Amino acid sequence: MKTTEIKSILQQLTSVPALSGYESRLHETLNALWQPYLDQTSISRVGSYHALRYGKAAEPRPRLMLTGHMDTIGLMVNRIQDGFLRLTAIGGIDARLLPGQMVTVHGKREIPAMIVQPPPFLLPKEFQTNPVPLQHLWADCGLSADQARQQIQIGDLVTFDQAFLELNNDIVASPGLDNRASLAALTVCIQELTKHQPLWDSWFVASVQEEETQVGALSSAFQIQPHLAIVIDVTFANSPGSPPHKTYPLGKGITLGWGAAVHPYLYNSFKDLADQLEIPYKLEPMPRRSGTDADSLQTVAQGIPTMVIGIPLRYMHSAVEMVSLKDIQRVARLMVEFIDRLDVDYLEKIKWDETN
Amino acid sequence: MKELIQTLVETNSPSGYENAVRQLIRQKIEPWVNEIKVDALGNLLGIRKNPNAPKIMLVAHMDEIGIMATHVDSKGFIRFIPLGGVYPHHCVGGRVRFLNGVAGVIGVEKLSNPQELPSLEKMFIDVGAVDAKSCPIKIGDVAAFERPFLDLGKRWVSKAMDDRIGVAVLIETLQSLHQSAFEIYAVFSVQEEVGVRGATTAAFGIAPDLGLAIDVTATGDTPKGNKMEVELGKGPAIKIRDAGMLADPRIIKWMIQTAEKASLPYQREILEFGGTDGRAVQLSRSGVPTGVLSIPCRYVHAPSEMVDRDDVLNAVRLLTELLNNPPNLEFSA
Repeated sequence: MKTTEIKSILQQLTSVPALSGYESRLHETLNALWQPYLDQTSISRVGSYHALRYGKAAEPRPRLMLTGHMDTIGLMVNRIQDGFLRLTAIGGIDARLLPGQMVTVHGKREIPAMIVQPPPFLLPKEFQTNPVPLQHLWADCGLSADQARQQIQIGDLVTFDQAFLELNNDIVASPGLDNRASLAALTVCIQELTKHQPLWDSWFVASVQEEETQVGALSSAFQIQPHLAIVIDVTFANSPGSPPHKTYPLGKGITLGWGAAVHPYLYNSFKDLADQLEIPYKLEPMPRRSGTDADSLQTVAQGIPTMVIGIPLRYMHSAVEMVSLKDIQRVARLMVEFIDRLDVDYLEKIKWDETN
Repeated sequence: MKELIQTLVETNSPSGYENAVRQLIRQKIEPWVNEIKVDALGNLLGIRKNPNAPKIMLVAHMDEIGIMATHVDSKGFIRFIPLGGVYPHHCVGGRVRFLNGVAGVIGVEKLSNPQELPSLEKMFIDVGAVDAKSCPIKIGDVAAFERPFLDLGKRWVSKAMDDRIGVAVLIETLQSLHQSAFEIYAVFSVQEEVGVRGATTAAFGIAPDLGLAIDVTATGDTPKGNKMEVELGKGPAIKIRDAGMLADPRIIKWMIQTAEKASLPYQREILEFGGTDGRAVQLSRSGVPTGVLSIPCRYVHAPSEMVDRDDVLNAVRLLTELLNNPPNLEFSA
C-alpha cells in the first residue's frame, strides 16, 4: 500500500481520541477499517476489539494473535477549583510539555481549554526555576466557578487539541501516534492480507489500557489462547543528542525486539524474513520489561511465545508524536509476509534448544 | 449495624492470618446465603443462588494491616516487619496485640536526630519480657494494632475500618436484601493489603460477569490533607480511578444512575494513590467489567481510621439498589 493511503488511514485513526479505559469511541472507526476485510469481529468483555481472519488449514488450526493497543494517554479532571480544572494523568504524561498546550475538555459538551503554568511567585520555591509538576498546573476554560460546576464533572476526560500534521519525507506528527501508528500497520496488514491465503487463523486485536494496567492484552490473550503472539508498539526514535544504543533512526526501518519478552526462535524467524525481503531493521534490546503489552501477554495461561515489533517514534507521550509512514508500511509488509509463510508445523519447529 | 462494626473491627486478623475474622463473618452471613465456601487461599464465599441471572462478585477484604515478629533479642525486645502499608509515623508510641493474646508497646531507639522520622528498623516491640526466654513471642508471630472502637456519634473510628467497614456493608446488604437481579458471590477476601492476592484467585474461581469491590477511599477534607474532592459525610464514593485501575465506565454509569434514581447521595472519586481488590477482579480471565463502591475514610492505615455513619448506611442502601437494577453492559461510542 502506498504511503498516501497509509496517511489517510492514520488520519482516521488519530482523529478519535480514546484514552485508556474509554476506548469504545474507536470501535466504529475499526469497524470501518477492519470489518470489510475479515471473517468476524467482536468486542471483548473489557472493550478490546477482536477481528478474525480464518486460515485455510484443516481444523483445528493454530492461532496467531497480532495486537496493538488502541488507548492513548491524556488527562482527566481531578478537582474543580473556582472554575479552574486540576488534572490527573491517564498513562505516563510528561508534565514538562503541558504548559501552553491546547486541550479539549469532554464535559457535558466539548469545551476548549488551555493548560497553564502559574507565574513563579505562586509556585513553591523548588518549582520556580524547575519543571512544574502536574499538581501545580491547571486547565483554564474561561468558565466561571458556577459554569464549570454545571458543565464539567470530576472524571471528565481531557484530550490534546492538536491537528494531524504532514511534514516532509512521509513524516507525520499528531497526538496519539502511540499507538495508532501500530493500528495503522495492522490495518494495512489486514487489507493486504486479502491477497493471500494464509494457513493459520489470524486474530487481530486492538487492546485496551496498555498505558495503565494492560488489562486488554491480558484478557484477550486469555480469551483467544493464541499459539503465537506479535505485539506491535512504538519505540524511541533518535534525535540530536539522543543515545544511539537506546534510540532508532526515524523512517530508516523498524525494530525487532530481543530480550525476555521475546521468544528467540520467533525473533530469528522475523530477522531472517526481514533480511530476505530487504526490510531494514534494528535489533532492539529489551533485557527486562519490553514496556509493551508483551510483558503481560507472554505469561497468560500456559505462556505464549511472543514477538515485539517496534515503529520508531519521536517525542513519545507528547502532543506532537512523530512517525514515518514508511516504517508503518514496513511493519505491515513484514507481518503480511510472516502470516503468509506460517506453516501448519511452525509450532513444532519452535525449539528452545535450537536457539541462542 | 454499629454493634456489627464494633465486633468486626475488634477482631484482629492481619493479612494471611484471617482465621478469627473469617469465623466471625461466617456466622454472620450463614442465615443469608444458600452456600458457603472457603477457597484454597482462605477467601470466604457466600453464595446467594439465582441460577439464570448474571453472576456478580462483591468483594470486601477481611484482612487488616499489622506486623510480624522477625527477631527477639536477649532482653526480650522484638523487632518486626510490616504486613501491608504500615507507616512509621503512626507506630511510635502505639500498641499491638499478638494473635496469641499478648500485648506490646512500640518503642524507638534513641535517635541521633530527633527531627528525623524513624524507620520501622529503628523500632521494637516491648511485651514486658525480662529476657528472651520469658518472651512469649516467637519469630513469625503476627500482631494487629491495638485500639478499641470509638463512637463519636456521627463518626466512627477504628484501626481496621479498612476494610471491615466494607465487610460490614456487605453483610448488612445480604441481610436486608430480599431479592436480586444477580446470582451473588459475596467474597470476603484475604491478603488484599499485601497485593490483592485473595481477590485474584476468588475472581478466577468464580468467573463473574461483573465485579464490585467495596473498600475505603481517602478524603481531601482534613487540614492541609490530600488534594482530592471526596469528603466525609457527602455520601459513598463511586470510584472513577485509583492508582491500580480505571473503573469500567459502564459500571460507573450504572452506579451513578442508580444512586440518582434512588435519590441517594454519592461522590465521584479519583484517588491518585492506592488500589483495591477491584483491580484483581477486572484483570481476571477474559476481563471483568468492574467498579468500586468506596466508603470515604480519613486517616487510612493509621490506627484511627474514621468513617461517617450516614456514608456507611447510604453505602448499604446504594448496594441494595444496585443489586436490584442490573446494568447495561453495551459499550457506547
